Amino acid sequence: MIDYRARFRSNLLIASCGLAVFAVVPLVANSGLMFLAGLVAINVVFGLSWNLLFSGAGLLSFGHAMFFGGGAYAMAVVSLRLPELPFLVGLALGAGCGALIALIFGFIALRRASGVYFAVLTLAFSELVHILITKTTFLGRNDGLVGVPRPEIDLGLFRLDLTSATAYYYFIIVAMAAAAFALWCFQNSPAGRLIKAIKQDSVRTAFLGTSVFAWQLTAFVLSGAIAAFCGAVMVPFTQIASPEIAYWTVSTQPILFTLLGGAGNFWGPAVGAILFGAIDYGTRAMHGLSEITVGTLLLVVVLVIPGGLLGFVRHRRKKTRGKAKASTAGDTGARS
Amino acid sequence: MYDIGMTVFNGLAWAMATFLVAAGLTLIFGILHILNFAHGGFFMIGAYVSYSIMMAFGGSLPLWLYLVGAMASGIVVGLLGWAVDKLVFRRLRDVEDAYSLIATYALLLVCGGAVQLIWGLNYMGVMPPPALNTVVFVGDMFMPTFTIFIILSGIVAYIGLEFFISKTSTGRLIRVVAADPWMAQLLGLNVKKIYLITVIFSFAMAGTAGGLLMPNQSLSPELGGIFLLQAFGVVILGGMGSIRGAFYAALLLGLIESFGTYFFPQYPGIFFLLALAVILLLKPEGIMGKGQTA
Repeated sequence: MIDYRARFRSNLLIASCGLAVFAVVPLVANSGLMFLAGLVAINVVFGLSWNLLFSGAGLLSFGHAMFFGGGAYAMAVVSLRLPELPFLVGLALGAGCGALIALIFGFIALRRASGVYFAVLTLAFSELVHILITKTTFLGRNDGLVGVPRPEIDLGLFRLDLTSATAYYYFIIVAMAAAAFALWCFQNSPAGRLIKAIKQDSVRTAFLGTSVFAWQLTAFVLSGAIAAFCGAVMVPFTQIASPEIAYWTVSTQPILFTLLGGAGNFWGPAVGAILFGAIDYGTRAMHGLSEITVGTLLLVVVLVIPGGLLGFVRHRRKKTRGKAKASTAGDTGARS
Repeated sequence: MYDIGMTVFNGLAWAMATFLVAAGLTLIFGILHILNFAHGGFFMIGAYVSYSIMMAFGGSLPLWLYLVGAMASGIVVGLLGWAVDKLVFRRLRDVEDAYSLIATYALLLVCGGAVQLIWGLNYMGVMPPPALNTVVFVGDMFMPTFTIFIILSGIVAYIGLEFFISKTSTGRLIRVVAADPWMAQLLGLNVKKIYLITVIFSFAMAGTAGGLLMPNQSLSPELGGIFLLQAFGVVILGGMGSIRGAFYAALLLGLIESFGTYFFPQYPGIFFLLALAVILLLKPEGIMGKGQTA
């Protein structure tokens, strides 16, 4: 039996610590670092959304850039071409756009493909979306959509002015916390556990009367919607939606975060995203060094510690705890 | 008539260039069951090595030196393959498919980073050797000699590989291991060694392909990714590592791509992806079906 209340409390504690760290960044760091921290916060949830599929549903997606890019472009189009629509509607449309893309392509990809084939199909779809963006004049072709304004939110009683980078940074933190909370709740809900059961043994769960396809599609759509939400939140921050954010290398980002941090733990992608941000920042002076460092780290993780950083820590803790237990057991044995 | 001829010619050029890259990829996929993301990276390293060799000789090269350069990059990348097998692939045997795919992606990252460190971020380019830098007229169609050369190289590579796999003793051993590594081991075959030979061979092909295709390409650290997607499509569509399947898949996708681009010139690069998705939906096991290993 898992004590869900205790689990909720410990996760809430972890999340609050993380939130506190992100909240003090603008107070202690310069604007460049704050910008980086904002992107890292978005990457944290982007990674979490990917891991919902990977660890949650056992699906390896190499196409998350299409959701991220789809959400970003939806947001950019809304704020540039339909400025009369409220900002929050734009965010919702962004997430909805990702859900729609996921629904269409998931419907096709999940029907037939699994494993490596699924990965390559999602890669192909994502590249399709990327090329379509670069060829569509409405979406700015290769130049992208530039000059996306930061919003003012009208909440009826008062107006929330997010036009400064710092104000928008705090909005990102709040939005990402909400998205992470939603993901956590889903993964620990009956539906989330059902999807995990499908991952572990799809034949048996199908035999028990579950529609494997429908639940996998649900996970895919949810993951796509959250990833698109991340993209939609990012655009007013960077103020540009360019085709690179739909390129397939973006699809590999959440994979890196998750594997580095540890796929088996809910917060693994978060740890990985922060680590990745630090490596990228630390090696920014030399082109190529960041790729070599991240690539080598990832190789080491996959080959030596498949549980990622958090898995490694947990493994070490278990080992020392196990030793302690064994020694006390030995003591009592000797005494009696 | 002119248009159809040129479109077929362009399709063949796409197909054979892609097949040159996909051949090594499909070999590893068929025998080790690893879809090697890094293949694009090592292809790129081959192109850069060949570029450096060309530059060392002053840029414009006679045909034979261009061919020797391509061979040399094949050897260099083959040696890298030996190291990669020892360090990485050997450890991926018992790892889940998803994880081994990610491991080869990590290798691709390392390749890209290494290329940036050694050769820099700037775009570089070389002309084909003068002997191949001409144009042949067939009727009123003009065909660049270099493109004809690439098409012929693709066909030669295909025939050579088919011969190697089905007629030589090493090729037969590779097929045995592909079919049933456990049984091959029981029969006293050195499975590890055959895996190693396959990996070196596949990497050498990637390097040679890089050297051959390097002229007329703009060399940049993104080069690996561009060919990789096309090659992935060809390998997946061709079935589990079937070289014949990859060859036909390359032809099919190349023709679809070039006819699609002919009718909708504003959307180049999209039709092979669409075709790949549609065909995989109808025939998820690829066009050659199962049991066609190597």
